[in-house]
Amino acid sequence: MTAWLLRRCAAAVAIVFAVVTLTFILIHLAPGTPFLPGPERAFDPAASARLERQLGLDRPLPVQFALYLGQLVRGNLGDSFSQHRPVSEALAEAVPNTLVLTGSALVLDFVVGIALGIFLAARARRASAALVDQVTLFFYSLPTFWLGMVLLLVFSVWLRWLPAGGITDSVVYPSLGAWGRIGDRLWHLILPAATLGLVGAAGTARFQRAALLEVLHGDFIRTARAKGLRERRVLLVHALRNALLPVITLFGLALPFLLTGAVLIETVFSWPGLGKLAVDAIFARDYPLVVAAAILASATVAGGSLVADLLYAAADPRIRVSGT
Amino acid sequence: MHQRVSTAVCAALAAVLALIAVGGCERRPSCTGDYCGTLVFITGNNPDILNPAVSDNTGASDVEQQLFLKLADVGLSGNTIGDQDFVPELAQRWEWEGPRSIIFHLDPRAHWHDGRAVTAGDVEFSFDAYADTVVNSPARESLRRIASVRSRDSLTVVFTFSEHYPEMFYDAVYHMQILPRHLLAEVPRTEWRSSAFGRNPVGDGPYRFVSWTPNQSVELAADSTFFLGRPHIRRLIWHFAANLQVAVTQLVADQADALEYLGPPQFIQQAQKAPQLTLYPYKGSNYGYLGFNLRANGDTTRPHPIFGDRSVRRAITMGVDRAKLLLSVFGTHAKVPPGPMPQFWSIWDSTIRTLPYDPAAAAGLLAAHGWRMGPDSIRVKDGQKLSFHILAVTTSNVRQQYARLLQESLRPLGVDVQIDALEQNALQQRLAAGKYDAVLEAWQASPTPSSGITQLWTSHGATNYSRYANPEFENLVTRATSGTTTRDAASRLWRGAMDLLNADAPGIWLFAPDNVAAIHKRVADVQIRPDSWWALVRHWRIPADRLIDRDRAGR
Repeated sequence: MTAWLLRRCAAAVAIVFAVVTLTFILIHLAPGTPFLPGPERAFDPAASARLERQLGLDRPLPVQFALYLGQLVRGNLGDSFSQHRPVSEALAEAVPNTLVLTGSALVLDFVVGIALGIFLAARARRASAALVDQVTLFFYSLPTFWLGMVLLLVFSVWLRWLPAGGITDSVVYPSLGAWGRIGDRLWHLILPAATLGLVGAAGTARFQRAALLEVLHGDFIRTARAKGLRERRVLLVHALRNALLPVITLFGLALPFLLTGAVLIETVFSWPGLGKLAVDAIFARDYPLVVAAAILASATVAGGSLVADLLYAAADPRIRVSGT
Repeated sequence: MHQRVSTAVCAALAAVLALIAVGGCERRPSCTGDYCGTLVFITGNNPDILNPAVSDNTGASDVEQQLFLKLADVGLSGNTIGDQDFVPELAQRWEWEGPRSIIFHLDPRAHWHDGRAVTAGDVEFSFDAYADTVVNSPARESLRRIASVRSRDSLTVVFTFSEHYPEMFYDAVYHMQILPRHLLAEVPRTEWRSSAFGRNPVGDGPYRFVSWTPNQSVELAADSTFFLGRPHIRRLIWHFAANLQVAVTQLVADQADALEYLGPPQFIQQAQKAPQLTLYPYKGSNYGYLGFNLRANGDTTRPHPIFGDRSVRRAITMGVDRAKLLLSVFGTHAKVPPGPMPQFWSIWDSTIRTLPYDPAAAAGLLAAHGWRMGPDSIRVKDGQKLSFHILAVTTSNVRQQYARLLQESLRPLGVDVQIDALEQNALQQRLAAGKYDAVLEAWQASPTPSSGITQLWTSHGATNYSRYANPEFENLVTRATSGTTTRDAASRLWRGAMDLLNADAPGIWLFAPDNVAAIHKRVADVQIRPDSWWALVRHWRIPADRLIDRDRAGR
């Protein structure tokens, strides 16, 4: 087990290093300069060249890469060109915002998705299940940004029940107490988390239903029923555990989404998270910020895959992680 | 077991709902009277840093405008020639000392928000910093004709110029917001872009800095001791949206009070339907055009096989119905410019001679110069097809629309147009390297044509990507921007220059939008200066009987 874990960790480090190298090279080779002024403002090539000299961007790429790796090893991610502050500071602000949003969405996704999946499997071939099935199919086929725009229009613009964007109300937030601040943040979280969560839940429900329907035909379920167990117990205890494996795989695959999956929703709801930060950094040719975002994303993918394997083993005693 | 789980879930949900209710309901009304008011601006432009010497985006300059003063500022007339239309700020008065020196007398009441007086030393220090290549200020180039700035005493400072020209005063006051020497002198200039000052600035303007949450909001508070009069509105908050569409949605949802530029017609219509908003049209400060590359694509030593020929450029220009295109994209919210100029420039004159829309004459001109219609309905001359690529930035819907409309407009003339959509950075590199045929460009202009026209259309201009060069045109521009030219004489010279430029047709001038701002109807005394939307906010007010919860809440 330990050897297996060590090997997986070494592979993860290798993956992250490969991603860093590739991202560093690609972003530096992309046309343009980090020092382009805002839209529709005059560009001064001489000023841009002066800044490039100041920041060492006129050196050969291998030299720049070696220097970058040197500072990375010391835990220094560099300074953001576009934000004029340490990259670590920009990430430290954005990552928690994204985690709150995507974490809430994932919880909603799996809680609602699994519950709906159970309902659909338990009521298979009934009218109510058919209706719910169509509704989940509808949500599953919706692009998240479109659903976000619609929810925004209905709940913020027309009904004015919920805020239209941001993570806090900048007018009242400074004067609120601790509980008020938490409440204000939750208030702003509802729409973006619901948008992401609902679309995800629709997909999860369909996976869960399919997995449960397959398990419900198994011999052990027939045995459980023959022993006189109540249908609820058969479904929730015997069938569900066995039907969770595909959903756990799905969960593992969804973990990278915690940091990278909300770019469009962050844009629609002005949510200052990592996705939006990374996209802006790419367009601004903010090399240090782009590479740091890639490090985080690749580390999350590698970590997510590892966690999925471990969860899989925990859920199914037949599967054992092995050092061989 | 299941019951316990259900109970726990219900309890957790109830707790979350209670917290949300607390967040939604907890309000602490605290302000009444004439000097209350909170104004929330929504913008898609996130500031990079709040130090006017180094910042280079409109998000930052909107905020800096309230924090830092200039010596004087452009008046509502927008006149930049001479000094008569300028409004005093830090300088109480000024006088000329010979043709090349201006003496500014600072207002003794002016002070920094930390209590220190603003002195002539601050002005001298600011000029030194703005002109320093290490600081690399975006305003540096505009200050090149100021030879020196010297303080004569603590409240008197003398600007000396290397030459006499009509916009000396404008150059002395407009580009520089004065910085506090006592806070910045010790900061190494190589570190100004990341210094703590830029994140927590101390200014001398009508509003003082309160907080900045990057990518979310900036808050300023009125300086009740501001020497030019206490601002009526107590708090200014900038809220940053991801883009213009999101900004308009938040404005219409009543989560913000003001947006300086609504952009395309659909957003204007959206704002018109919001009962809480009043729309304020004002002259636009940007314009757009199709610029031709007069040198060969990728080889600046040879003329472009199509656009190197003045007659072809003229024919293509005459083949485009610019008024029709404008109506398709902007409706009635823009004008066809009579040259490369925004509406707010004083040289805007609809009687300037422009090439007419005349497709028959355009076809005749092309045929007369050997461009015959080929079997595929594309004109050909000596084996060369009349076909070119237009670069258009992906982030501008307006320019993408124009690219497609131009493609369709020129097809009947036998001109084949291909569209290359590129992101801004890649596009900029292609322009600088001359690797393009034509480009859809748009510019946000300063209040005067002097720098913009020189930069874009003269042979020594850093951004003359068309590689246009006409000595006669340049002579007129030089005369309009130098010597002892009066405003009327300068206007005549500019007009002559524009006539020449239009005749040479290095580009097709497509649009000059009317800007429309949307501001909450409770705000009174709203005035907007086209070059600097929120410059006059300190004069705006929210009458006591129109205050809403947003105005009373807060610190």
